[in-house]
Amino acid sequence: MSRNWLRWAPAAAAVVVVAGVAIAVPTVANASVSLPDKTPTQILELVASSNVRAFSGTVEETSDLGLPSLPAGSVPSSSRGSSSGALSAADLSLLTGPNSLRVYVDGPSKARVQNLESLAERDVIRNGSDVWVYDSKDNSVAHTTLASRQHFVRPGTTPQATSPDPTTPDPQDATPAGLAKKLIAQLEPTSTLSVDSNVRVAGRPAYDLVLTPKVTDTLIGSVSIAVDAETGVPLQVRIDARGQKTPAVNIGFSSIDLATPAASLFAFSAPAGAKVTEINQHATAPKAPDAPATKPTETVTGHGWDAVVTVAAANSLGTLSQSRSFGELTTAVAGGRLLHTSLFNVLFTSDGRIVAGSVSVARLQEVATAQ
Amino acid sequence: MTAAELAIETRGLTKRFGGYAAVNDIDLSVPHGSVFGFLGPNGSGKTTTIRMLLGLASPTSGEVRVLGAAMPRDNASVLPRVGALVEGPGFYPYLSGADNLRRLDSADLYAPSRTRSARVADALERVGLSAAAGKKVKAYSLGMKQRLGIANALLTPRELLILDEPTNGLDPQGTREVRSLVRSLASQGTTIFVSSHLLAEIEQICTHAAVMSVGSLVAQGTLDQLRDVGRPRARVQTPDPQLATGVLEKLGMTVQQLPPDSVDTTVVAIFGDKPVEPDTVVAALVKAKVRVRGFAVESPSLEDRFVSLTGEGFNVDH
Amino acid sequence: MRGSTLTTNTIRTRPASGLALLGTELSVLFRRKRTWAMLAALAAVPILIAIAVRLTRSGSGGGAGPAFLDRIENNGLFVVFVALGVCVPLFLPLTVGVVAGDTIAGEASNGTLRYLLIAPAGRIRLLAVKYVGAAAFCLAATLVVCIAGALIGFALFPSGSVTILSGDTVSLGNALGRSLLVALYVTVSLLGLSAIGLFLSTLTDVPVGAMAATIILSVTSEVLDQLPQLGWLHPWLFSNYWLGFGDFLRDPISWANFVTNAELQGGYIIVFAALAYGRFAAKDILS
Repeated sequence: MSRNWLRWAPAAAAVVVVAGVAIAVPTVANASVSLPDKTPTQILELVASSNVRAFSGTVEETSDLGLPSLPAGSVPSSSRGSSSGALSAADLSLLTGPNSLRVYVDGPSKARVQNLESLAERDVIRNGSDVWVYDSKDNSVAHTTLASRQHFVRPGTTPQATSPDPTTPDPQDATPAGLAKKLIAQLEPTSTLSVDSNVRVAGRPAYDLVLTPKVTDTLIGSVSIAVDAETGVPLQVRIDARGQKTPAVNIGFSSIDLATPAASLFAFSAPAGAKVTEINQHATAPKAPDAPATKPTETVTGHGWDAVVTVAAANSLGTLSQSRSFGELTTAVAGGRLLHTSLFNVLFTSDGRIVAGSVSVARLQEVATAQ
Repeated sequence: MTAAELAIETRGLTKRFGGYAAVNDIDLSVPHGSVFGFLGPNGSGKTTTIRMLLGLASPTSGEVRVLGAAMPRDNASVLPRVGALVEGPGFYPYLSGADNLRRLDSADLYAPSRTRSARVADALERVGLSAAAGKKVKAYSLGMKQRLGIANALLTPRELLILDEPTNGLDPQGTREVRSLVRSLASQGTTIFVSSHLLAEIEQICTHAAVMSVGSLVAQGTLDQLRDVGRPRARVQTPDPQLATGVLEKLGMTVQQLPPDSVDTTVVAIFGDKPVEPDTVVAALVKAKVRVRGFAVESPSLEDRFVSLTGEGFNVDH
Repeated sequence: MRGSTLTTNTIRTRPASGLALLGTELSVLFRRKRTWAMLAALAAVPILIAIAVRLTRSGSGGGAGPAFLDRIENNGLFVVFVALGVCVPLFLPLTVGVVAGDTIAGEASNGTLRYLLIAPAGRIRLLAVKYVGAAAFCLAATLVVCIAGALIGFALFPSGSVTILSGDTVSLGNALGRSLLVALYVTVSLLGLSAIGLFLSTLTDVPVGAMAATIILSVTSEVLDQLPQLGWLHPWLFSNYWLGFGDFLRDPISWANFVTNAELQGGYIIVFAALAYGRFAAKDILS
C-alpha cells in the first residue's frame, strides 16, 4: 500500500517545487528594502537632481478602472485629441488592460517607445527633430518634423500655454519617469506629501513618494511614485482610486538599463511599402492649409486634482456616439451621457461637449452648465 | 525441490480487482528445464497470473520469483532472459513483420543492436515467416500474427519462455510446428511455461502441469503425478455403506464416503496398487452380504480429472 | 543443462542507453500514414493562404483577417507568419494532441505496450522516449508549416528584405534566421501540451479518449485566456504565450516572452511528467 502512495511522491514534489518557485521568486523580489530615510522634499530634490539622460527598459501598464469588460479592440485604441490636464497621459489605450512597452531614451531629443502587442507593434520614435509613428497593423507611418530648436515642453513649465500640437506624441510620456514628473509638476502644490515604505521596482531599491490630494472633491485617492534611490529616476507610478483596493492605474518599469541605447534604434526611416502620412507642422503656422479639421478648443477649469477639462464639440463625437460600445460604456444622466470609471468621469453633454475630470458627476454637471 | 531449481515460484499470489479475486492465493512451482502446462478454462485467471509473472501487473499480495529474482522489483534484470507471448500477439499493423520485431527488439536494452537484423531474420525463419517478413502486419492472418508473436519471444536466447495460448488461431499444421518448436527449445534446456485451455496440447508436450479453476490452483505436479490421482475407481450403490467399505478396504482400495442418499449410499473406492479385477470386487461384496444395487467402474482420463477439478468442460476440439 | 550458459555469450551485460528505442520510436512515428496526413494538412494551411491571397489581390485588407495577411504581397516570407498565426491556436494543438494522446494509449490499444515493457524497455525510459517522440513531432509540425510557407511564399510573391513589426527593415537572411527562432518558440510553446497529453495517455487504453481530452484541454486553456475576468489565471495557462512568437520580429529581439514561456512550459513538463510517472510506474498493464 505504501508503495502505491510512494509513486505519487515525485508528482507531489514537482507541484510543490513549481508552485514554490512561482511564489518564492516574486516574494524575494519584494523583500523589504532598507534605505537611508528621506523626507518627501528630499525625494523631490532627488527627482529634480536626477541626471540620468539615457536608459532603456520595459514598462508594464495595468489598469483597473472598474469599467465593464469589453472585447479587445472595441475601445478606440488612441484618442490623440484632448490632451491636457492632470491625466493627459492616461491615453484611452490604458482602458484596454495590461500593456507592455519597451522604451529607449537618449537625452531629451532621442526616444523610442514600442507598444508591444500580440503579433503587432506601435512605435513612436523621436530622433532630433523627426518624429515617426509606426503602426505594424496597417504598416502605416506618420512623420512630423519639429521646427528646429523646439523641444517638447518639459515638466515644470506651464504646459497649457505652450503645449505643442497634441497630435505629436512625446514618447517619453509613456515612461513612468515622464509621467511622474508631469504628475509632480501638476499635483504637488495641492497635495500632502508623505513617504511610504521602500519598494523594489525592476530589481532596484526605491523610495515610495505618496501624493494625497488636499481637496476632497476628487476620485483619486492617492498617487504613489517609486523613485530610484540611486539615480532619482521615477520607476513606477501608481494611481489609487478612492474606495478601490487594486490600483486604478499602475505604470512601472519591469526592467531598466541605464546604459545608452544603440544609436541605430533611433535611426528610423519609413519602410518600403508602408503608407506614409506626412504631417506638416510648423510652430509658426498653427493653421496649416491641409489640417484635417479645426482643432477642438479646450478649457480647463480649476487646477490640480479637481481640474475639469471641457472640450468643445469635436466632430469625432458624432461618430463615437453611434458606436455600440459607447452605449454600453455610458449611462444617461442629467445633461447628457456619462462614462464613469473609478478614476475619472467623462460627461458627453447633449450639446456635444465633453466635460471630464477626476471629480464627481455633480461637479462635471456644474461646470457644464456654468459655461 | 529447492527454490534454486525453480524457474518460477509464487507464494500466496493473489490479485484482486475491486472485491473480485481474479487470482486467489496460488503457489506455483515451475522447475528449471520443465515444459510446464498451465491449464484452465477461459477466465480462470491464467493470463492475470502470467501478467504478474512478467511484472506487467503487481500482485495484491503474495510473492513472485522468476529465475530466482523477485518480480516486479527485478524486472530489468529478469525480463531480458524471458521471452513471452501474452494474451495474443500485439503489433503495429502499419509496419512489416520484420520492422515490428526490430521495434520490439530495440526496446530490449540488453539486446545488441549490432546483431539485430540477423536475429530478426533468424527468429522469422524459426517460425516460418521469412517469406512474409516484408509484408505489413495488417495483411497477416491470425495464425501468421501468432507465429510473429512467437518469433518475438525468440529474438534473443532465453532461459524461460512464457507462452500464453501459443497455438491460438493456428491451423493443425501450425500447431504441430509449435509443438516441435517447443520440444526442440526444451531439449536445449529452456524452461517453457505454456498456458492453454486445450488439454490435448498440454498432454502432448508438457512434463509438468498445473490446473487453475476460478482463480485458484487446484492441482499441480508432473503429468504422471496428475494421472496418478486419476486411477480407476469403483462406484458401489448400496444400503450397507459400512459393510461395503470394510470389504473394499480389504481389497486395498481407498474409499471415499459420499453423503448418504435418501435410500442408498454411493461408496466410491479408488483401486490400489494391487491389481484387482472388477468381478472379484463384486464377488467379494456379494459374499459379504452387501446388498449391491449398482456397480460401475470408472477409468477417468486426465480430462475427466480436470473436469472434476475445475467443474467445467474443456474445449477439446479446436 | 541450463539456458544461462547461452546468455553470457550473446546478451550484453550492461543495458543500452535507449537511443535505439528512441530511433525506432521516431521511425514508427514518422513512417506512419497518419503522421504524414497531419503534416500534409499543416503544410496545406500556408499553401491555401498563399494561393488565396494571390488569387484575390484585393489590395490592402485594412487590417482585417489574420495578422500580417496584407504583408504577404510585399514579401512572401510573411506567409510563414500568417500560417503560424492561424495554426498555433488550432491546427498545431490538434495534431500535437493526437500524437501526445496516442503515446501510451496507442501502444496499449495496439497490444504493443505489454511487449515493449517485457522486452524490457523500462517504464520510465519508455515514458521519456515517448515524450521525446512527441516533442520531435512538435518540431517537425512547426517546421513543416514554416518551410511550406516559405517555399510557397517565395514562389508566388516577391522576396527580399523584410519589414519587421518595429518598422525596421532587415535582410532576408536575417529574417530567415528570425523565422527559425519563431519555429523554435512555437515548438517550445507546444511542449507543455505534449506533457499533458502524455499524462492523459497513461490514464486510458483508448487513444482517441486521450487525444480528445488533450485537445479539449488546449481549447479550454485558450478560451480561459480570452476571459478578462480571469486575468489572474492567464499567466498560468499553457496557451498564454502561444502567440508571443512575434517578439522575434521586433528590433531589438525581445526574449522576455520566450523566457517566461519556456519557464511556464518547463513547469508544465515537470508537473505532468511526474504525474505520468506516478500513474504509469506501477500501473497494471491489462491491455
